Amino acid sequence: MRILVVEDDTNLNRQLKEALTEGGYAVDVAFDGEEGHFLGDTEPYDAIVLDIGLPRMDGLSVLEEWRRAGKTTPVLLLTARDRWSDKVQGIDAGADDYVAKPFHMEEVLARIRALVRRAAGLASNEIVSGSVRLDVRSGKVTVDGQSVKLTSHELRLLSYLMHHKGKVISRTELTEHLYDQDFDRDSNTIEVFVGRLRKKLPEDCIQTVRGLGYQIAED
Amino acid sequence: MRKGSIAASLFWLSAGWLILALVATGFLLTDLYSRALDNSLSDTLEFHVESLTGALLETGNPLSSDIALTDPRFNRPRSGWYWAIRDADGAVYNLSTSVVGIALPELTELPDMLGRRSAIVSDSFGTSMRVVERTVTLAPKTYQIVVTGNLSEILELVGDFRGQAFIVLGAVGVMLAVMSAIVARFAMRPIDRLSRAIEAVREGESVAVTGTYPREIAPLAEEVNELLRSNSQIIERARNQVGNLAHGLKTPIAVLRNEASAKKGALADVVLAESEKMSTMVSTYLERARLAARTSVVGKKADATMIMLRLTRVMRKIHPEVTVAFQRPDASLPWFRGDEADLEEMAGNLLDNACKWSKGQVGVRLSSERVDTGTMLLIRIDDNGPGLSEEDAQKVLRRGVRLDEKTPGSGLGLDIVKELVDVYGGSLALKRSALGGLMVELRLPTARLGSMTKPVAP
Repeated sequence: MRILVVEDDTNLNRQLKEALTEGGYAVDVAFDGEEGHFLGDTEPYDAIVLDIGLPRMDGLSVLEEWRRAGKTTPVLLLTARDRWSDKVQGIDAGADDYVAKPFHMEEVLARIRALVRRAAGLASNEIVSGSVRLDVRSGKVTVDGQSVKLTSHELRLLSYLMHHKGKVISRTELTEHLYDQDFDRDSNTIEVFVGRLRKKLPEDCIQTVRGLGYQIAED
Repeated sequence: MRKGSIAASLFWLSAGWLILALVATGFLLTDLYSRALDNSLSDTLEFHVESLTGALLETGNPLSSDIALTDPRFNRPRSGWYWAIRDADGAVYNLSTSVVGIALPELTELPDMLGRRSAIVSDSFGTSMRVVERTVTLAPKTYQIVVTGNLSEILELVGDFRGQAFIVLGAVGVMLAVMSAIVARFAMRPIDRLSRAIEAVREGESVAVTGTYPREIAPLAEEVNELLRSNSQIIERARNQVGNLAHGLKTPIAVLRNEASAKKGALADVVLAESEKMSTMVSTYLERARLAARTSVVGKKADATMIMLRLTRVMRKIHPEVTVAFQRPDASLPWFRGDEADLEEMAGNLLDNACKWSKGQVGVRLSSERVDTGTMLLIRIDDNGPGLSEEDAQKVLRRGVRLDEKTPGSGLGLDIVKELVDVYGGSLALKRSALGGLMVELRLPTARLGSMTKPVAP
C-alpha cells in the first residue's frame, strides 16, 4: 500500500512518514499544496494524508481539484480546526475522514487502515483467503492458525494482494503501490518477493496468471 | 430605565394648555358680552335722561304730566325701569308709573364732566339696577333727573351666555384633547416600530434594524445597526484570531507529542505528559474564548433541518458501517435561535458519539415543543449501542468526565456541547432509546416565527 503525506510542518511530516512506514506502507511526502497536488494527481496512491493549512495551495483546494479530476483515492484530512462546521466543509470538499490536531499517531494509522480497507470493499479488519489470514491492524499473518513471520516487504506485497483478492494484479501495479517514489524499481524484485512468500504460505495461495500478473483467490 | 412616557407628556402638555386657554376664553367672552350689554343699557338710560331733560326744559314745570317716556317698561310696576324728577333735598316732583313702593336711591358718586352720575344699586325687591342721574337747573331751582334700567335681566342673559359658552368650549376642549391623544399616539408610532425592529433583531429574525424612520429617530436606528455591525466584526475578528492561534499551537503540540511517544526515557515521558496537558488546555481555552465571543451574538438563526441533513451526510461518510436514519420534519419546524456553527457543533458531537457507540443504527428526529417560556427545538438522537446506566448518565453530564478512554476523540466533545447548551439556555437529557441504546434529547431555543421567514425551496 502506498500513501502520500502532504504536511508543511517538517517534523510532523517526518513523524507521519516514519509511523506509516512502520505500519507497513510505502510513503511519499510533500511539503506544500502544489507539490502535493501534483503527486496525488500523477501517482497511484492507496490513501492520502492531507493537511488543510498548506503553503502555495490550501488543502481543501487541492482536494477539490483531485475530486474534480475524478480521483477517488481515499483522503484523510489533518487540521487544527476541529469544529464540526470545519469537518463538514472538509467532508463536503471530498474528504473521506478527518483527524484533528494534535492527534495520536495510532489514530491516524487506524483511520488510514480503515480507509484502505473500505476502498477495497472489505468489511472486517481480517482478510481471509483459504487457510491464510491477515489481520490488517496488527499486520499478523496466520496459516491454519499458525503464525507466519514475514519481512516488511513481504507483508506489503501480501497485504496488497489480499486487499484485492480475486483480482489479477500486474507487476507494474504492484511496483507502483509497494514502493515509494524514490525506490529503485526493478520488476524482478517483485518476482523475488513472490517466490519468498510462496515458500512461507500454502503452495496455491498466490497464483501466477501468465502475461498478466498475480492473484490471490477469493474464498 | 423606564420613567414617564413621551406620549403622556405630549398629551398632558397640550391638553393642559388647552384647558387653560379654553377656560380663559370662556371668561373673557362672558366679560366682553356683559360689558357690551351694560354699555348698551347705559346708553339707553342716558338717552332717556336726555329725553326727560328735554321735556322738563320744554314744559318748565317739573310737575307737568307731559313729562313722560314712551317706553312701556316705565309703566309696568316693579319692572326695574323707573324714572323720577326730584330736587336736591329729595322731594319728588314727578315719577314713572312703574315706581310703586320703592324709594329711588340717592347717588353719592361724583358727577362726570357732563354732570351725570352712574351707579349700580338694588331695589327693595332685590332687582339689580343701573342708575343714571343728571342735574338740571331750571332757575331758580335745581332738579335731579333719575332713570334706572333693569340690570338683573342683563345679568341673566350673561349667565345664560356663560353657560352656553362653557358647554360649547367644553365640547371643543374634549375634541381637541381626543385629537391630541391621537396625535401623541401617532407621533409615537415610528418609535414603536423601531422598538419592534430591535426586538426582531434580538429574537434572531433579522440581522439589522430594517425599515425607514423619520428624521428624529433615524439616527438612532442607524446607530443601533452600526453597533450591531461593529459587534459582529469584533466577534468575527476574535474568532479568526482564536482559529489562527489554534492552528499555530496544535501542530507543534502534535509534533512534540508524537516525537516523545516514539522515544523512551524520562525526558520523553515528561514531554509527553506536558504536551498532553498543553493540548487539553489549548482545546479548553480556545473553546472558552469562542464561547465568550459568542455570548453577545444577536440576530442569528439557523435551519436545524438543513444542518441535520448535512451532518447525517457527513456521518454516513465517516461512519459507513452505521445506518443513520433521519426523519425529515415538515417545513413548519421553527428555526434555532443562534449561530449555525454552534448548532452544528452540538449536534455534530452528539451524532458522532452516537455513531461511535452504536451497533450500526442511529436515528435522528427533529420536533418542536411548547413550554412556558415559548417554543423549544427538540433534537432526539437514538442509537442501538450499549446505552448508559442511570449513574453513568449522571456522571457524563458532569464536566470533563469520560467513561471510556479507548473510544477515539477527546473528552472535550461533550463538554463543548454542555457549555454551548448552557450559553443558549437549552437543556440536555440522556434517556433509554427505543432502539436499545442511548437517546440524547437536546432542547434549544427557537427563533420566533422562524419558519415564516424561511426561504421557499425552489
